[in-house]
Amino acid sequence: MQVVREIISIEPEILFTIFGLSIADSTMATLLIAIVVLCIGFFFIRRFTMVPTRAQLVVETMYEAAYDLIGNIINSESKTKKAFPLVGALLFYLVFANLIGLIPGVEQVLWNGVPLFRTATSDFNTTFGLALAAIIIINVLSMREKGIFGYLDQFFKFGALWRGFRKSFGDGLLAIIEFFIGLLDIVGEAVKVVSLSLRLFGNMLAGQILMIILLGFIAVVIPSAWLAMNLLVGVLQAVVFASLVASYYALATDEAEEVAEAVK
Amino acid sequence: MELEAAQALAKGIATLSMFGSAIGEGYLIGKALEAMGRNPDVSGTIFTRMIIGVALAESTAIYALVAFFLI
Repeated sequence: MQVVREIISIEPEILFTIFGLSIADSTMATLLIAIVVLCIGFFFIRRFTMVPTRAQLVVETMYEAAYDLIGNIINSESKTKKAFPLVGALLFYLVFANLIGLIPGVEQVLWNGVPLFRTATSDFNTTFGLALAAIIIINVLSMREKGIFGYLDQFFKFGALWRGFRKSFGDGLLAIIEFFIGLLDIVGEAVKVVSLSLRLFGNMLAGQILMIILLGFIAVVIPSAWLAMNLLVGVLQAVVFASLVASYYALATDEAEEVAEAVK
Repeated sequence: MELEAAQALAKGIATLSMFGSAIGEGYLIGKALEAMGRNPDVSGTIFTRMIIGVALAESTAIYALVAFFLI
């Protein structure tokens, strides 16, 4: 259906370029979110007192809820403290970014006749950048935790190969299978990036397209149901993205396997 | 066959992925409800985990939706 491509483009509209970097409408939305969050931080969070006011209670409740959610996934207190700046920032940014397209009036701000803002995560560049950065950070942290040879040993399991052949020939053959599974783990890392980014992008883009189609169909009461569904999906996909990043981090910096190997 | 006819057929075939996603999610929700019946104290936790699990099981259907819009 050629009409779909004229409704909302999968490629973002380039608005202008600064120093050779092209700024698109989703970039402007991300900048808007950054400015809003900085303003909230500067004007409200600096005035936090020991006896909380109602606004402070709201912010602290949200923070506690996010911290408990991530803490349940990474089952260790010290690792949660290390990971929460990254994962919590991802969570709150994604909640804002998914919902900013649903606030009425935000997408009507025009600049030279083109909308200035757009749901930031309905652009594949945004989600791919976030997923790639998260997986790279997790791998670097895992390298720091296990040392570079321990990290490479996960993928190229020469140690397991040697140990297997030392025990017996049959165990050696099994160790060869383990070696190939270790090689497949490299593909697994790339698949993590693709799956994280595509899940978020697909949900947001499909929400936008279906909303436009539905509004063209019946514009009176029915789209409010789809708007409520999009509110739910926006928050849910942000929670899923952040929880998956947290669980990949917990798996990558897991020390339990080495204890099991030493006991064997 | 013309390009538009092939594209229309491909779009139709891409929507067949709904079946797997529906079966998977139905199974997941059924198991979650059963667990909630056995242990009503942790209903809140089970419900939260179930929602996250449903979003994960939905993801392959979302990949098919993206492919649908790209065709």
